[in-house]
Amino acid sequence: MKNTNKTPAQQPVQQPPQLPQGFSTESLKTIAVIAVLVLAFTNWNSLIAIMVNIMIFIYRIAGHNFGLAIILFTILIRVVTWPLNAQQMKGQVAMQEMQNDKEWQAIQKKYAKDKEKLAQEQMRVYREKGINPFGSCLPMLIQFPILFALIPTITYAIGSTPLSLLKLAEYAYDFQNVVGLLPLKSNFLWMDDLGLPERTLVLGLSIPVLALIVGITTYVQTKLTMPPSADPNDQTAQTTKMMAIYMPVMLFFFSLNYASGLAVYFITSNVLGIVQYALQGKANWRNLLPGGQKK
Amino acid sequence: MIFSMRKKILLVTVILLAAVLLSGCVGSTTWPGLSADGDTAYLANGLSVYAINLSDGEEIWHYPLQSNSKLAFNSNPVLAPNGLVIVGSSGVDHSLFAINPEKFPDGPVESVGGVQKFLCSIGLATCPEHHVEEWIFTDSEGHWVASPLVVSDKVFAPNADGNLYILDLHTGDLLKKLTLDGDSKTPNRLWSQPVSDGQHVFVTSLDLQVFGVDAETYEYWRQDLTGAIPGSGVIGSDGMLYVGSLAKQLEKFDPVTGKHEPVLDTKGWIWGTPVVNGDNLYFSDVDGNFYSYNIKSGKLNWESVKLEAGPITASPLVYADGALVVAESGNVYFVDGTGSDDVWHAAPEKGKAYTTPVSAGGYVLVSYIESDYYLIALDEDGDQKWIFPAGK
Repeated sequence: MKNTNKTPAQQPVQQPPQLPQGFSTESLKTIAVIAVLVLAFTNWNSLIAIMVNIMIFIYRIAGHNFGLAIILFTILIRVVTWPLNAQQMKGQVAMQEMQNDKEWQAIQKKYAKDKEKLAQEQMRVYREKGINPFGSCLPMLIQFPILFALIPTITYAIGSTPLSLLKLAEYAYDFQNVVGLLPLKSNFLWMDDLGLPERTLVLGLSIPVLALIVGITTYVQTKLTMPPSADPNDQTAQTTKMMAIYMPVMLFFFSLNYASGLAVYFITSNVLGIVQYALQGKANWRNLLPGGQKK
Repeated sequence: MIFSMRKKILLVTVILLAAVLLSGCVGSTTWPGLSADGDTAYLANGLSVYAINLSDGEEIWHYPLQSNSKLAFNSNPVLAPNGLVIVGSSGVDHSLFAINPEKFPDGPVESVGGVQKFLCSIGLATCPEHHVEEWIFTDSEGHWVASPLVVSDKVFAPNADGNLYILDLHTGDLLKKLTLDGDSKTPNRLWSQPVSDGQHVFVTSLDLQVFGVDAETYEYWRQDLTGAIPGSGVIGSDGMLYVGSLAKQLEKFDPVTGKHEPVLDTKGWIWGTPVVNGDNLYFSDVDGNFYSYNIKSGKLNWESVKLEAGPITASPLVYADGALVVAESGNVYFVDGTGSDDVWHAAPEKGKAYTTPVSAGGYVLVSYIESDYYLIALDEDGDQKWIFPAGK
């Protein structure tokens, strides 16, 4: 019989589990994110059903006020994705700070004509400084199924058209006893129907008030998160500036044509985002002032 | 690979576009409206209303002549005795249009692009103008889901804003705006075409109410149900009004007093309007069941038939020897007088059907969404004769 009682010196050294060669924890994170995305999109209807039922549940406890239900739903999503947003923000700041790093700027100049070498050097600097270049993208990616599912969720949950009402019946779980709630009250504040694009008559003109608020709050949020750049004329600063215009305009047109309930979501989400930045001390209020970017 | 800001912008753009496309999973937000007379079918399908020649499926005209993204047509066009085609828009521009088919120009109409349209609107260019409307009613506050009903020279038009607009058929002038708001502070959603027994006009509401409006005095009674009513009522052979609701009940109403009682419990929500034939009512539910109810006996003629798992929102087409039923899947079933069913026309490869089919010109017309075509004409054997549009 073999003696299995080995002295400590004889015992094999416990190695921590090793990843295969070429695999890093970052690769694992990427694979996990892809897996979550694949899982979400291959179970698309289930995801929508879950979100629709959460929305109906909130509607019930929010006193049958759909606008309030959307706001509470947005807060819930913000709370759930808070750690992801925080990580995304951290990654963004790290990436922005990198733009002002002396070594970073030096390699940009040195390898301006050798893209391959430049990429290698950039990766080396990232490694040395412990920055994950995907750090701001992965948390954003993992939230996309929720963003994508929001449009059908709000459209179906409001049930403003015959087909969306029928879909609501299809997605609602039996225990919700949704027939007792129908039709959902889809008016909110001055809006008659959150399932339709909003227009308000101002001095005889049909003004998309909600879409304008979406544009403004998106602009404010984007500006607040823009870190000051050492050189406002560098490419990154320029593209960031462009982003501050581009996103609000895009979301404005988006809100112009989709259910106003979605615009309520965007506005709430923007306001909460601003609050989150402010609470974390990241909000750059100077950016809102003309010339506020200049240091 | 480095995620530069430019790439991030590209990524966000792609994602937002994908969100829009995926919201295409929302796809159509509702289904087309369909009606027909002796030789023409009228299809209200999104941005346009089409008049289609029943003999060959060719387009005769479409409305509006110039595309307008503010309009959306989805309710059944109503054919008035004076030849007008009346249809409301559920788009941002929620007007009710009385189209005069005789006013359409011969030959194709020059298309006016966005920039030119803008220049025309500010008087810096001249655009060809064709007014094919007899009148346009623009005073509703909500969109039009319901088709109007023409009684004598009046148009009874229920709107999603909770008002029943009563208009002059010939001029479109507002005769009366009747707010059917019940006790609720929010407007009643009136989604279905009214029905009339000649003296009263009966209006159902999604907000669980049924109204009986005197066609002359406009006085009305109101009754509450326990479920939303997306379909219309129907006048039975006994002169009573029958209404199905999402409370899984068929109810009978006295047309004068509004006094009502449930007459049948169903397995699923009743969505489509029941169809009357003699002493029998035929209707379906959203669980895919089909019913034949005898008014005299107060009982089902036979146990309901489970046609398929998906919902049936369309009203059936009733014949002497049975009924044709269109299910969401696109299958068209024939159910005979004993309750025995068979697939009469198999569903297309892709597409869903919610619209009530129409029988005209010797064809059965079935409308689809999310399909390669909007409309199909089937002959008496259930074989396809033409599709519209042919080259879609």
